[in-house]
Formats: sequence, C-alpha cells, structure tokens
Amino acid sequence: MNSDSYSIVGGDFDRAGYASSRLKEQLKKIGVEPALIRRAVIAAYEAETNVVIHARKGNMRVELDTGQIDVEVTDEGPGIPDIELAMKEGFSTAPPAARELGFGAGMGLPNIQMNTDRFEIQSTVGFGTRVAFTVYLRPHEAAGSARNSIRVVFEACRECLSCLRACPTGALRVREGRPIILEHLCIDCPECIEACETGALTVAAPAEMPVPSRETVLVVPPAFLMQFGAGVSPEKVLSALATMGFVNVRVMDEWERALRDAAIGFSREPGRVHPVVSPACPAVVNLIEMRFPSLIPHIAPFLAPTEAAHHELRGCDAVFVAACPAQYTVLTSKQFATNSRVVTPSRLRQELLLAVSKRGASAGELAPPRGPSREDDQRVLRVNGIRHVMSTLEQVEDGVLDDVPVMELFACDQGCFGSPLWTDDAFVTRHRWLRSGGGIATAGNAVRQNTLFRARAGMRLDSDMTKAIVKLSQIDQLTKRLPGKNCGMCGAPTCSAFAEDVVMNRVSITACRHSSGIKGEPHDTE
Amino acid sequence: MKLSNLAEAIGAKVLTHQQKASKLDIDRVYAGDNISALLNEASETALLVTNLKTSQLLRVAELMDISGICLLNGIVPEPELVTSAREHATVLIVSPVGMFETCGRLYQCLSGKA
Repeated sequence: MNSDSYSIVGGDFDRAGYASSRLKEQLKKIGVEPALIRRAVIAAYEAETNVVIHARKGNMRVELDTGQIDVEVTDEGPGIPDIELAMKEGFSTAPPAARELGFGAGMGLPNIQMNTDRFEIQSTVGFGTRVAFTVYLRPHEAAGSARNSIRVVFEACRECLSCLRACPTGALRVREGRPIILEHLCIDCPECIEACETGALTVAAPAEMPVPSRETVLVVPPAFLMQFGAGVSPEKVLSALATMGFVNVRVMDEWERALRDAAIGFSREPGRVHPVVSPACPAVVNLIEMRFPSLIPHIAPFLAPTEAAHHELRGCDAVFVAACPAQYTVLTSKQFATNSRVVTPSRLRQELLLAVSKRGASAGELAPPRGPSREDDQRVLRVNGIRHVMSTLEQVEDGVLDDVPVMELFACDQGCFGSPLWTDDAFVTRHRWLRSGGGIATAGNAVRQNTLFRARAGMRLDSDMTKAIVKLSQIDQLTKRLPGKNCGMCGAPTCSAFAEDVVMNRVSITACRHSSGIKGEPHDTE
Repeated sequence: MKLSNLAEAIGAKVLTHQQKASKLDIDRVYAGDNISALLNEASETALLVTNLKTSQLLRVAELMDISGICLLNGIVPEPELVTSAREHATVLIVSPVGMFETCGRLYQCLSGKA
C-alpha cells in the first residue's frame, strides 16, 4: 500500500487542483485504466476545490492499494449544516468570487458521488468536513457476476440427489458421480450445503487458523457467540477469545444494525419505491439480480454488513469469521483487496474449545456495544428462508406489498443464525442472543454504495437473441416430450431443466432413464 | 474535423500549438462556464468553448486531458494562461464572437452544413 498526503490552502485558487494532479500522475505511473483515472481525478478535484472555496485549510490523503484508490479530504472550515441539502444538484453556498471562476454550480458533491464506488461524508458545523471516497481499479473483475464460494468434495458424494431438490435456482446437477454447480445460476446461498449429508458440498474456505497479533481485530457474527450452549454467555465467549489472543473483537451486529437504520432512513426519503429491500444478505441480492431484475430499484444502495465491516476495517489487520459462502465470497472478492483474513466458524470454534480446556476462561467484562431498542424496527418486515424470500419477492413484483416500508430478507432461517456452518439450532441461538440484549448495537457505520446493482444474465441461452428464442422453443418442445416425472435420475432437478441441458449441449438425451419412452423423434441438439 | 480547419472556418485565431491543431481531430464541442460540468464532458477529442479565462481552466485541461479550448469574444488572455497552455500542450484558440454565435458556427462545420 502506498500512502500520500497533500495540504490544501483555503482561498488559493492558483494552487487548487495541485493535489489532484499529483494523484493523476501517480495513477498514470502504475498503469491504471484511463477511464478510472478520470473518475478518481474528477472526484479528487471536486473535493479539493471544495476545500479551497469553503475552508481555511485542509488535507488530502491518498491510499493506493492493489485493487482500489481511497481518498480522504478533511478540512477546517465552516462545516455543512444540512448534508442532504448539500448533496442536491444545484445547491451551493459558494461566494460570488468563486462563482466567477466557474465554481459554485452546486455540482461538486453530486459529482464526487457519481464518479466513485463508495462515498462518505461527515460534517460538524464550526469545525469542518470530511469527505472520503473509493474508486475500484478492477471493476470488471469486481463485478465478476457469477463468483461463488461453494466447493465440491467429489469423493464424498453418494449421488443421493438431495442437493438437486434443495437448490432454489436449479443450479445443481449430479453427473459422473458428483455434484456440478452451474455457476451462472448459483446465488451462493447455503441451501445445498445444508441439504448435503455427506459433506460433498462445503464452503471454499482455508483450513489455517490465523495467528492474532495485538492489533488484530476479530469480527464475529452474533451467532458465533451463541454456539456454546445456555450456560455460556456472549461475554464468556469474548473472554475466551481474548485468552486466545483475540483481544479486539467486534460483533457483526454493529453493521447489521447500522444497515437497518440506513435502510429505514432511506425508506423515509421522498420518492422512494416501497418496499425498500435492505441488502442485508448477499445471497438474496444475487437472487434479485438474477431472478427478479425488475426489483433492483427496490434495493437500498448500501453495502452488506460484511462488506461495510470489511470496508471500515481496511488497512487494519482484520480476521473475519465467514458465516456462509456468500459472506466468504464478499470477503475474498478482488473488489476488496486488503490484508484481511478469513476463518471458518468450525475452525475457530475448535481452537476456542481447545484454548478454554487448556487455560480456562472466566466470565469477561467485554460486553457487546448496546444501545436502546428502536421502535423503527416495526417498519421492517423480516423474511427468513430462501423459499419464503422468493415468494415474497414475487409478491413485490405483483405490487401487493407496497404497504411495507422496508424488507429485510435472509436466505437462511433466522437470518445469519441459520447458516449450516453453525452447530447449534438457529431458532434457539437467535432467541438467546436477543434475550442477552443483543441486536441493538450502535458502533458500526452503514456505507453507501454507488456502484449500481446490476441484472445478472443468469438464464441467458445465447448471446444472440434470435438463437436464444429458437433454443427456448426447442426446450419447450423437448420438455413436453419428456415424462415429467422430475425423478432426478438424469442428474437434473426437473425435466425442463434436463431439456435445457440437452439443448445447451451439457448432456446427451440418453441420460434420461425414460428416454425409450420419449414421445416423438429423438431430439436434435443442433 | 481537424481543429486548425475548424478554427479557420469559424474565424478563430490559434494562439498555441499550431502544429498540434492541424493534427487534432475534433468530434464534439462542449460549451459552458461551469467547471463541474466541464469535468464530466471533457475528452481528448472534444473542443471546450468557455467564457472562463483563469489559470484554473488550464488545470482542468491538464487533469482531464483536454486538447483544445476556445475562448470567446476576441479576448486577449493573460500571458500566464497562454504560457501554461503551451506547457500543457493545450491548443488555445480565440473566437471573435460570443458563445452563442461561436457554437452556431461550430455546429454548422461539424454537422457538414457549412
């Protein structure tokens, strides 16, 4: 990581833009794509000239990492009384002198937001303003539409076909003695892992146990703290973690709470389409992008809690406990190239039990941060479990849920408490967590996401629309000729999925056990 | 259309980088006095038409790789502006008329209705 700092002098219009042009030189040297240089430079220049126009003095700090540019501009200035108003295009408080120079059109802050992937602003009247933004250097890779973190251990598969029926998007096939994931259909939810009794489907996470240093921050999902039975309080688990060397622990709850508040606030803004869908679960966001693209405008533009935590702790030595494949994908995404490490719940649990049996643990004083409970939560409809999520999303599409201000959807039962990576029951652990006073933490921040959620071409049969239409009708015709038993013996979950596989040349029609009984002529796959 | 031809057609005077002007292809024109908007519209093949005449204009040109700027109303720019345009390889031209008329002439040239 490379870090630079430039001072900015208020009122000095001759030097305004100097820091931005240094940034541009640096980005050119490391070979950043011109279009990305352009975005970063526009944002930096706007932030820099804002300091020159409004403040006495300020500072621009630039951090270059392998995957991203982080810029922070702080100033000692008058501060902004109403940030929401300042964010409106055309609103400006610039003095006439600045306007004569071509500034003060009220486009500065919106321009920064438009040209960056992350944008944060904080301001205190009488003290100053802080603007921070991030531009990702590899947007194409970052947007890698079909990444997932589910891995197949194929020796373990005994072809029971449970995963075929469990997968909500029909992304699984069992062929040649093992499960195959059609990545373009996979939404990274843990349904197949849950269904698999033999461990043939699991999370692609490393087996090593990260070694903590004094600076290490461990981020744990609340569910982790509840995995040790009724007698072990969250405080005790935190204390046991401390004996392992994880002195600084933050509970994911903080960012979950922050996101819920941000989504509620967003739903109150005039003109928002209700229900606002909180992007709390990355698997649900994947599902919407693939199956319900018309609902993308409903998603509140914020980072998922795991992403926000990861963003906030960038630069720290952070260790994350990934509760599910979708979280693991987020944490290892190239979009967030940082030095953080990831550990699976089972590995950490194992080490923790070992540490406790060796050294013993007393009830610690570390308490998760607590705050008052919120009446606002009544605005939120919580839906758990992927099938319920899908049926409610269908209702949103039908327009019958527009009385609901905010929806929080989770692929797993009881939200992240229901991941198959936990050992204890979801309903019990969440009940105990809420009873222990959890769920009302306040310390984390929601981070606004400027990169748009994008429809995913999950079902695309062919990049050429005409050919795709032909294939669609071939699938239709073949499906009608198949027995319709959905037996799964061919390795596809349904006869229509099998027909699609045949038309897409993924499998031969002879894989159907009933192929002798297929009505009509054998299908020509060309 | 080459910037030098464009300048000639609208009756503008080329102040810097005559040579570069004869090689520079212009396919777009953006006219305005608001820096935020200029930032978003600027490109290497766009000619910027503006009433601005401070050194900030050249800073923006440098940051956004703007190759051509057209000043208006036949003004005589400050020597600093001309010097920094030379340094940054920006072609500076001055149109004898105001923004509205300059744009009208440019439009006729670029849309082939000259």
